[in-house]
Amino acid sequence: MHSRVDQFMEMARKEMKNELSQTFLKLVTFWAPILRQTALSSFPDPVAAESYSRAIRAEVIERLPELLEEFEKNAISRGVKVIWARDAAEANNIILDIAKRKGVKYITKGKSMITEEIGLNDHLIKNGIHVYETDLGEVITQLLSLPPFHLVGPAINVPPEKISEIFLENGILKEPTTDPVTLGKAARMFLRKKFKALDMGIVGVNMAIADTGSFINVENEGNIRMNKSSPKTLIAIMSLEKVVPNSADAIHMIRMLIRNCNGRKITSYVSFDTGPKKADELDGPEEIYMVILDNGRSEIYKDFKARSILKCIRCGACLNTCPVYMKIGGYPYGFVYTGPMGQAINPLLLGIENTTDLYRACTLCGSCKQICPAGVDPPTLFLEYRSRAIRMKNAKDNWTLLSRLANTVVTVFSFGMSQGWAWSLGVKCVRPVLNFLSKDGYIKDIPMGIQGWFSCRDLRAVPEKTFHERWKDLQNKPVPLADIAKKEVI
Amino acid sequence: MKVSLFIPCTVDIMLPEIGVATYKLLSRLGEQPIYHPEQTCCGQPLFNAGYRDQAKRVAKHFINVFGNDECIVSPAGSCVSMVKYHYPELLEDEPSWCDRANSLALRVFELSQYIVDNLGVTDVGATFKGMVTYHESCHILRGLGVSDQPKKLIAGVKDVQYVDLNNSTVCCGFGGEFAVAYPEISEAMVKDKAQNFINTGAEILLLCEPGCLLNIGGYLHRNHPGKRAMHLSNFLANNGKEV
Repeated sequence: MHSRVDQFMEMARKEMKNELSQTFLKLVTFWAPILRQTALSSFPDPVAAESYSRAIRAEVIERLPELLEEFEKNAISRGVKVIWARDAAEANNIILDIAKRKGVKYITKGKSMITEEIGLNDHLIKNGIHVYETDLGEVITQLLSLPPFHLVGPAINVPPEKISEIFLENGILKEPTTDPVTLGKAARMFLRKKFKALDMGIVGVNMAIADTGSFINVENEGNIRMNKSSPKTLIAIMSLEKVVPNSADAIHMIRMLIRNCNGRKITSYVSFDTGPKKADELDGPEEIYMVILDNGRSEIYKDFKARSILKCIRCGACLNTCPVYMKIGGYPYGFVYTGPMGQAINPLLLGIENTTDLYRACTLCGSCKQICPAGVDPPTLFLEYRSRAIRMKNAKDNWTLLSRLANTVVTVFSFGMSQGWAWSLGVKCVRPVLNFLSKDGYIKDIPMGIQGWFSCRDLRAVPEKTFHERWKDLQNKPVPLADIAKKEVI
Repeated sequence: MKVSLFIPCTVDIMLPEIGVATYKLLSRLGEQPIYHPEQTCCGQPLFNAGYRDQAKRVAKHFINVFGNDECIVSPAGSCVSMVKYHYPELLEDEPSWCDRANSLALRVFELSQYIVDNLGVTDVGATFKGMVTYHESCHILRGLGVSDQPKKLIAGVKDVQYVDLNNSTVCCGFGGEFAVAYPEISEAMVKDKAQNFINTGAEILLLCEPGCLLNIGGYLHRNHPGKRAMHLSNFLANNGKEV
């Protein structure tokens, strides 16, 4: 997928003015935490349930290579053809080759972030194989050529009028309507025809079980199940961190995934697939290919400080709690993974030097870390990326005059900050300059460098004396003890 | 007991009255505050901006200044969490410094946490006739896990009426350099915070974080003159009066 993260602020400004997006974001802020808490409260001990899921993901990361080999072995023993793909291009070509070999004319697809990541649709369409998205939201975004707005509701910000219009244009709908049920039904009837006599379906994977070789998908529309059960050939594609050790772990992770994702205890459909149709079975695909995608993840695995991002299960709970996401929505992030999880993983997939806004546009409030059922700590990752970015900018063969200047200024500051006298002197020098700009005890604007602060805020003028300077006076005026007796600390 | 005052740079320069209030409160409760004049800044702005080598230098200075104190108290939760959690991480490749940082981490406290948990006091002898509410600053709430302590101190104030703030745990949009680098997003966030405060009908928005105070206070001054945000220490030491 082509990244547009360089347009971060431009898109953010646009989205903050988009009333429809803002309405949706306000609704999510209100409802998501309530629904999530309600769903989590069905656990006898929600905190323990969360610790358990974090423990599972920590174990997965610790044993990843071994678990993947176990999964491969067991999947093959069930008749699945396992193919490893090093990167996006390789995965795309593997899938295209299979499609060409089978002579398919079109492919249906379940909603999957990983295929967005590698840009599979574009690759197949470019090579003459039409791709039909089958998740209603994805059908809409595909027809509008829009990136997903939210990972659960990719087209939740598209009004029914617009949907009606594009459905009419594409022959999915005959009469214009804004009734959601009629629109949904029209898409369903259209897609049913595609599922009949289907040669090939492609799905992503929510979880893969190492000790059985099974893979699991959760969904609400039943389209993924249609994609998995109707075609002659089924291709599942997963990024390599999706594996879990065993079925018990998988079941717990599924329970946590769904509760954190859409605030329900279970989705309408949960499907497990363990190998293709056997000789004595009536239904199911004749062949299953499992493409296990690396696309930079082995490098992330080797990167000890960033590795923990591989724990992410893409539930999206962090989106719904992020105060920045809540204001700007999904588009500004410019890539398939949005919100804090995207801010944490995209810099590793796309390069730290290309994704500055992702790890800088964050107040480090920590609510994503707190909510994460997989135990990812995005703020710590952002701090790590920030320091790597500075190091890269000042590297021998990479530095610019600006980066050198900034680094020198900061270094001088840091020296000043490590000497009490220099600090006091610095304050004495800065105070009159700042206060020259103040009026009635407040500074309304400072033209250079920090004008961002003053776009909506004032800054109090710097007081005549620092605490440091007031300390001597303080010591000379003893403070009377409070009447209230201090409780004894036992 | 001797308590070492850790007065962060924002307080020292921009909000010295918070330092004075901290001193008064602790003295009033029978503590003996001491102050090391060599102290500067904890280095968080440098660390957050990614300048780790430089932040390290400042962290080492901090450790040298405070390293021998039994108990260090600060009216800024964010700076406490910097010292407590990020110093050991920052100095991880220098074992002897890292040990000192780890040892220091156990001795640094946020003011309300210190008064309630360590001194066992919730009534500091303050009086205020009026309604107040409380903003849960990110690094105090999620960083240090401090939430009940400030509320207990508010509840201990004579005649005060406390009202809950809607979305009190949502970030106010400060985030240090964030407020300067992403002013539009920051504005949208602080606007919500101010609106939620105004909706409570409370006279004062209390908080325990100088950074949030600069942000919310600055926004209120520009857009809602007359509405006040105040640091809890100031509120308790001066019975809600501006000094």
